[in-house]
Amino acid sequence: MAILSPRLRKQLTNRLADLLLLGIIVAVLFPIVWMVLNSFRTNQEILTTSALLPRQWQLRNYVDLWQQVNFGLYFRNSLIVCGTTTLIVSLLATFSGYALARFRFPGADLFGLAVLGTQLIPGILFLLPLYVNFIFIKKRLGLPLVGTNVGAIVLYTAFFLPLSLWILRGFFAAIPRELEEAALIDGCTPFGAFWHIALPLARPGLVATAIYVFLTAWDELLFAWVLDVRTIPVGIRLYVGQYTNRFDLMSAASVVATLPVLVIFFLLQRQMISGLTAGAVK
Amino acid sequence: MQTEREAVPAIQPKKKSARSSNLRSRLRSLRQNVARHRLAYLMIAPTVLAMLLVHLVPTVEAFYMSLLNLNQYTLGQFLAAPFVGLANYRFLLTTPDNPIVSGLGNAARNTMIYTLTVNAGTLGVGMITALLLNRSFRGRGLARTLLLMPWVVPTYAVGLLWGMMWLRDRGVVNMLLVDWLHLLSDKPFWLIGPNTLWAIIIPTIWRQLPFSTVMLLSALQTVPLDLYDAAAIDGASAWQRFRYITLPLIRPVVAIMLLWGAIFTVFGYNIVVMMFGNGGGYPGEWGDLLMPALERQSFRYWLFGLGAAASTMMMFGMMVLVMVWYRIFRTSLIQE
Repeated sequence: MAILSPRLRKQLTNRLADLLLLGIIVAVLFPIVWMVLNSFRTNQEILTTSALLPRQWQLRNYVDLWQQVNFGLYFRNSLIVCGTTTLIVSLLATFSGYALARFRFPGADLFGLAVLGTQLIPGILFLLPLYVNFIFIKKRLGLPLVGTNVGAIVLYTAFFLPLSLWILRGFFAAIPRELEEAALIDGCTPFGAFWHIALPLARPGLVATAIYVFLTAWDELLFAWVLDVRTIPVGIRLYVGQYTNRFDLMSAASVVATLPVLVIFFLLQRQMISGLTAGAVK
Repeated sequence: MQTEREAVPAIQPKKKSARSSNLRSRLRSLRQNVARHRLAYLMIAPTVLAMLLVHLVPTVEAFYMSLLNLNQYTLGQFLAAPFVGLANYRFLLTTPDNPIVSGLGNAARNTMIYTLTVNAGTLGVGMITALLLNRSFRGRGLARTLLLMPWVVPTYAVGLLWGMMWLRDRGVVNMLLVDWLHLLSDKPFWLIGPNTLWAIIIPTIWRQLPFSTVMLLSALQTVPLDLYDAAAIDGASAWQRFRYITLPLIRPVVAIMLLWGAIFTVFGYNIVVMMFGNGGGYPGEWGDLLMPALERQSFRYWLFGLGAAASTMMMFGMMVLVMVWYRIFRTSLIQE
């Protein structure tokens, strides 16, 4: 190295860095490419091939997924559960997040701490009593919370509210307070100042939070499984538990489950990143 | 510090006669407070209700359940099931040979190794990737977008996908290692035996890499460039610049990342559950984690009392972990 001039050395390390980055990108992308490729193969080919590309690109798996596995139902359930949860959580988290960002009320610190504290409870800890409670409610009050989308929506709403309001709190806190104060002086009510001034300004945050909620709900398996809600992950798990080694259908199902997330990613990449990282940054 | 605190006179014990009027005035001020902050309380009310009904009440119920002999025979009585005190905890702590307890013990050990390895791996590889991205070159935006792709794959699909990739005979990992690259002469088992730990660790790092890369990259971009220039003039090597300039400045982000990474891995469920037997199998002694193990023991065998006791212990374990985390990163969090 010593014989090389500093400029040459710098160029060399830069090329090496490019090469390393390329290697990482290939390694990171390979499993996804493999999943997509397998979804176009026949199961027979998956079990015998060593070739990278499918012998014949066929869409049979996707058709079978809908016709044999009833994947359309799971897909619809997932959309209903995640969509409704997202709407309710976004609305409620907006109110609470704003209150926590703007108002100094007694108990605000305790509330904020409790919001974060909920993240430390293992889901299984409250799943056990919730399961029995839900069965009790069904027996005594006739409200079907087990095995229905409603049960999942109720639970998911309560689960994702704390972190969502925490994300929104950050977005509201970043808005200059003076704008709302000016509105108050002009005769606006405090709620009006929130609704007409702060909320429109926090729209990027609202979108980010909504994406965060939707994707977290989309990825939820444990509660849906135990409460027998037929969302996509539960459907896949039920199916593959019955018919093992249908790798063709499993690949296709994974691709279909990934597609909505991919669409959100390409349409709203910036908001998706800010939502998912804001979940982690205070 | 300590002496200063002691120098402040302790609060005088209130006289008995003053107490009732004191209470009344306190009530009055409470009512005034509620009136003054009505909007704030109205706005947080739905969330408070949700947290009470779905977080607090079930958690308290679970604590109480952990003191009951709640199994398939007594489940109908629920909270009226026989009270056994700390017997569930004693059982978990003193009978390591019982198959259920040893199964949970294995899962606890795996969860610890998994949490440490995944987070160390994510941080290390994420740091390298972020540093590589934090240079100016053509196609930087494209490279970043491509590196984010594992993020769009739902975790249950990650488990399913890698479960297929790890298959001994037809899995692509062994194809790559043996048939294509000839790095190994024999195809190893990935989904049986101690290798299963790697089979769950590597996909999790793969899935978490985009998150840590994005976080670290945005942290790296906040470091003022003139600090590096000044250090370079002073003759600091690249490693020294990283160690003494970059690292201290991005420490708060690393702290937050590690906390969320710990929550994600300690409570990890989807990847493990979907990987073995394509979602229907037992992960085995070296592939099981606490969440899947607890779900299985509780709901397959209806051992709710024992499951609640083990879950409670898990929660205290998590709290200890967070306290350790807080002690390590306290200074950088306050600076922020």
